[in-house]
Amino acid sequence: MADMKCNVAVVLMHDHLDGDLAREEVIQLQQHLVQCPSCYARYESLERTDALVKALPIEKAPDYLSDKIMKSLPSPRRPAAWTSWVRRHPAVSAAAIFLVVMLSSFVSMWNQSQELSVSGPDLEHVIIEGKKVIVPAGQKVTGDLTVVNGDVQVLGDLDGNLTVIDGNLTPLASTAHIAGEIKTIDRAVDWFWYKVSSYFGTLAYGS
Amino acid sequence: MKPLETRLARLALRGDQRAFAEIVDMYKDKLYHLAYRMTGNRQEAEDVVQETFLRVYKNLDRYDENQKFSTWIYRIATNLCIDRLRKRKAIYSLDAESNEHEGLDGYAMLPSDDRTPESELLLSETQRLIHGAIATLPVKYKSIMILRYLQDMSLQEISDVLEMPVTTVKTRVHRGREFLRKKLEHKL
Repeated sequence: MADMKCNVAVVLMHDHLDGDLAREEVIQLQQHLVQCPSCYARYESLERTDALVKALPIEKAPDYLSDKIMKSLPSPRRPAAWTSWVRRHPAVSAAAIFLVVMLSSFVSMWNQSQELSVSGPDLEHVIIEGKKVIVPAGQKVTGDLTVVNGDVQVLGDLDGNLTVIDGNLTPLASTAHIAGEIKTIDRAVDWFWYKVSSYFGTLAYGS
Repeated sequence: MKPLETRLARLALRGDQRAFAEIVDMYKDKLYHLAYRMTGNRQEAEDVVQETFLRVYKNLDRYDENQKFSTWIYRIATNLCIDRLRKRKAIYSLDAESNEHEGLDGYAMLPSDDRTPESELLLSETQRLIHGAIATLPVKYKSIMILRYLQDMSLQEISDVLEMPVTTVKTRVHRGREFLRKKLEHKL
């Protein structure tokens, strides 16, 4: 047992420095080192090398490095979060976009219509004076009459509905007769519902 | 309960920049020390550390929580260092007609590091010699010796970081230690 070969001893030295040597083997190595001066010198040299390398001072990163790193990162993953929300709620997203488009188109329509406009199938018997639309006494207008941005005075017969948008309806004269409904619309909300219901009316009756 | 780094990594993946900043603070010095000893150059060490964190950030979704976070980040940093050393060697070997630089990784031929801080001027001759000896280690021993001695890793941890068998790591530690012993023996 005492006659350990030097090349075997060197392997054991390294294992020992690795903290990887069983107790009996440590004893065997010690016995060899006592007898073999050259192996003893080698072991001392290896041990010193280990100690010296371990003792090298730690190099710290410069202070500005953290900031530099954080600034170099690609922009945060926020856009991904936004799109994933849209993906998770497709119906809500679609409804929101629809609403925005609808509202903006109605708002633009509302703003455009500042001028007087009169519509209906029978405008021959209607008199227009400035901002005033008159159905004269003794005249009969067939079909609906719609007036936007104007005042309306009915003296004769109207064989249909009368709609006044953003205007005034002068109280009906005794001679007047309106066969259909009378609607007066003043506000944007009513305008909106008027548009929507007439839109769906068009769809329903195809007129 | 998952380890702190794993929890921070999860938060960072969800876009929490502060969680990532904490990871940076936990590892920047360790990685800088590793990269400085590997490359022997402060500017390169800084570049390696920055590149490491950038890769970590971009690949957070690929981090496997079954392995230690430190293993993962050290692997990225070590591989970046090894790549740089190999490239450097390739560049210098182009115009190296003689064999006089064989076994070196170009460290000795690198322009001197002019960013040496004051403290370095006070370094003992011993430390300078050790630093020089580590610098001349062949790449495959160098990474292992640095992880073992300067990052205080076990052989098993090194084997996880470098993805090689423990027996290989062990053999290289032995050879690396012998290499350093021979370099330092007659100088100290």
